[in-house]
Amino acid sequence: MNDRTFRLLLSRRRLLTATSALAFAALVATAGVTPALAEDGAHDGGDVVFLIDSLGDTWIPNNSAISSFQGHIWGHVTDKLLYVDADGKVSPWIAERWEQNENATEFTLHLKSGVTFSDGSPLDAAAVVANLDIWYAGRKSEGINPIGLFPKTYDHAEAVDATTVKVFFKKPTLGFIPTLGYHGSILISPKTIASPASSQADLGKTSGSGPYVVESWKEGDYVKLTKRKDYNWGPAAVGQTGPAHLDTITYKLVSEPSLRVAAVQSGQADVAYNASPQELESLKSEGLTVATPRYLGFVNGWAINTKLAPYDDVKVRQALQAGINRQEIIDTVYTPDWKLATSFIQSNVPGASDQSALLAFNPEKAEKLLDEAGWKKGTGGVRVKDGKPLSLTLNSNPYLATSKSIDELIAQQLGKIGWKVDIRAYDVVTFGQKVKYGGAGVPAYEVTRSFIDAGTVASILTNANNGENWFALDESDKTLNDLRDKIAGAGSIEARKPLLDELQKYVLDQGYFIPRTQIVQRIYVQSPKLKGEVYNGVAYASYYTATKSE
Amino acid sequence: MSKAYFDYAAKRLLQAIVVILLSYVFTFVVVSILPGDPITNVLNNPQNGFTPNEIKEIIAAQGLDKPIPVQLWSAFSGFVTGDLGLSMRTNRPVATLIAEVLPSTLVLASAGLAVALFLAAIIAYGTQFLPRRFGQGLLRGFPSLFLSVPNFVIGLVLIHLFGFQLGVFRVIEPDSFWATLFAAIALGIPISAQIAEVLIANLDHESGQDYAAVARGRGLGQMRLFVTHLLKPSSLPVITVVALTIGELLGGSLITETVFGRNGLGSLVQRSVSTQDLPVLQAVVSLAAVVFVVVNLIADLTYPLLDPRVKLLGGQERRPTTADDSSLPISKAVTR
Repeated sequence: MNDRTFRLLLSRRRLLTATSALAFAALVATAGVTPALAEDGAHDGGDVVFLIDSLGDTWIPNNSAISSFQGHIWGHVTDKLLYVDADGKVSPWIAERWEQNENATEFTLHLKSGVTFSDGSPLDAAAVVANLDIWYAGRKSEGINPIGLFPKTYDHAEAVDATTVKVFFKKPTLGFIPTLGYHGSILISPKTIASPASSQADLGKTSGSGPYVVESWKEGDYVKLTKRKDYNWGPAAVGQTGPAHLDTITYKLVSEPSLRVAAVQSGQADVAYNASPQELESLKSEGLTVATPRYLGFVNGWAINTKLAPYDDVKVRQALQAGINRQEIIDTVYTPDWKLATSFIQSNVPGASDQSALLAFNPEKAEKLLDEAGWKKGTGGVRVKDGKPLSLTLNSNPYLATSKSIDELIAQQLGKIGWKVDIRAYDVVTFGQKVKYGGAGVPAYEVTRSFIDAGTVASILTNANNGENWFALDESDKTLNDLRDKIAGAGSIEARKPLLDELQKYVLDQGYFIPRTQIVQRIYVQSPKLKGEVYNGVAYASYYTATKSE
Repeated sequence: MSKAYFDYAAKRLLQAIVVILLSYVFTFVVVSILPGDPITNVLNNPQNGFTPNEIKEIIAAQGLDKPIPVQLWSAFSGFVTGDLGLSMRTNRPVATLIAEVLPSTLVLASAGLAVALFLAAIIAYGTQFLPRRFGQGLLRGFPSLFLSVPNFVIGLVLIHLFGFQLGVFRVIEPDSFWATLFAAIALGIPISAQIAEVLIANLDHESGQDYAAVARGRGLGQMRLFVTHLLKPSSLPVITVVALTIGELLGGSLITETVFGRNGLGSLVQRSVSTQDLPVLQAVVSLAAVVFVVVNLIADLTYPLLDPRVKLLGGQERRPTTADDSSLPISKAVTR
């Protein structure tokens, strides 16, 4: 080929023509390519499209089960041993009944028979033992994490026969039974559990025993679930045990919040997850269904670092407790769907007691307490002691979208009393690195956290038994330590209840925990055609019982 | 083709390989010195309830406690043998993740480029032949306007108007023909501005040449004059501009994909950046470097073939950009 011929072949006209043709062909090629999404009314039973702001990271069951996003999918693909409803009531599911010894160190679970995973293997006692073992220990060298909130007092479990499991603990663990209904405690096929991490990370290869199976999925795009027709072991507490009504549920990632809501308004989708609280009233007036279920857990509030001055002074902490107008937070940032905090745990948690009197807004009391503590008003209204201003640094919690708005409002409220409040906003990564309970420069750590059993609360607050030492008290507060030990050793719910009440009163009175509002971390905006969904103890919507009208 | 051309091509190829390898090392160092990693970030979330000892144990098991040079060597030796490793965020092979999203981005980028070329040609034609009273001057302002409006704003307007109001496409089906077309328009508009500016400048130059006056004198129609005489010489510098806009096509696709809910390379990068998923970021940056370097290499290598006025001097090349009269002598020692 001589130079002339080569130049002709690559003439500019041809190059331009080829570029244009390629681009046009690429565009045309997409015509008719339709992703595996639901079409309205195409199937008996109906199809639901759920728009979600993220589909999380890995799909290894142990690492993703408690994700705010992936938890929705796991809730449909898997079952749990027990069901915990929105009020924390525990009822049978795969475990038909259970017993425990007197000091809550041994439990016996009796399983339903005939339950199978979607890969055909039986959900029997051996499968439950395999699940309990991996929840407790994970396989860390492979990148399979343990379930963080699974009791660390677990010793071992034994399959007595095909439908009976005995579980042993090193210490009394009254929280074990409710933990079986926690969103981390999902039952996975032993075949999946035995497979390597890279295989478990492929959602399509994971088998659960739930009412739906994964039909198709694409990382960071969508997950389509299809009904399992032979499903017949649902939790009786939701009023249904047979197959689901809806044929398919598609979780589709749309990261822009306004587009998620607009898609539901225009009828292109059925549910929009995590809409802005400020939009909810107008959406309700348009006829859309809005759900703001509360999870079982701590309220949104601050764990105070008692090692950091001036918060080592109980009067300053008590002034902080009295100086916050919590009703104004709800009126300004939220809607009436949000509830006032009545303790440092959500009011729907069994064992939560009403401590509203300790949380009343009383600026006069706050000013008096600060005066008594030696903080006098200086120039600009900021209180000063020994030449130092009364300051509070707030690190807005990146896991709660409204956190910074609340911080700004509280800064105004406390400013009137004499506080100088600085607000810092970090992304999730930086927050994780810089902001820790009791950390240097972190006087108040903002808590957003669910749990299933209030018995786990006391052990988190101090540093005993790998506790998180929320208030940086170490072992210095004997009253708190005593309550913690009594709660951990309680053999029954009845014996534990007054102890929990005492704990809540003490923690709030000491100003160790400063509640803001009860938390709603999952907001659902839904088409009125979709009805009958159920919200469980961790506020996930289950469409197992839902129906959709055309 | 002459020996000088092959020497030039070999030198440019070697430079391209060095750039790709350096981009890999640079990305690794930059991301590694940032605090945190996807595994620690997840473990640090208090909701997960891990103790400090458990966190330390898991991090050690993943090799993240090793010195950065050791981690770099391990990753780099895998990269040069074609092993991109496992994503720290998803635990899935990086090659699989990229293969899943690449077609969507290629379709969007190609369509965006087509839209950009089409719009640039329309604007350029209008500036030459539209009567003044029909807004010829206004058209000359379009490139500045297109450059000043961010493509996410264009995207949101298109979605609300054509997706929700007129129902031309469904937001939940972002890979459909119409959704892809509107995403391509959002992506293509800002890029068309740069191409149009170069095209207009070159058309202004070419239409003042003698051959254009002769063609007009022969009674050639406006469209024919534009297509057969003016467009060809004016388009050559556009190849350079298009090569340079590849980066913008990739960068713009990140925003456009996010707005339109498309699952492409851009959204994979977004997720990986937010979680510091180092293996994915390294692979994508290296891929982008490969694309950028290869496209520019192709542009550089084809220039001497397409334009006889471009001369090579000891492996050096000069290519015109805007209204460049390359017929002027550019070197004293011409090799062909």
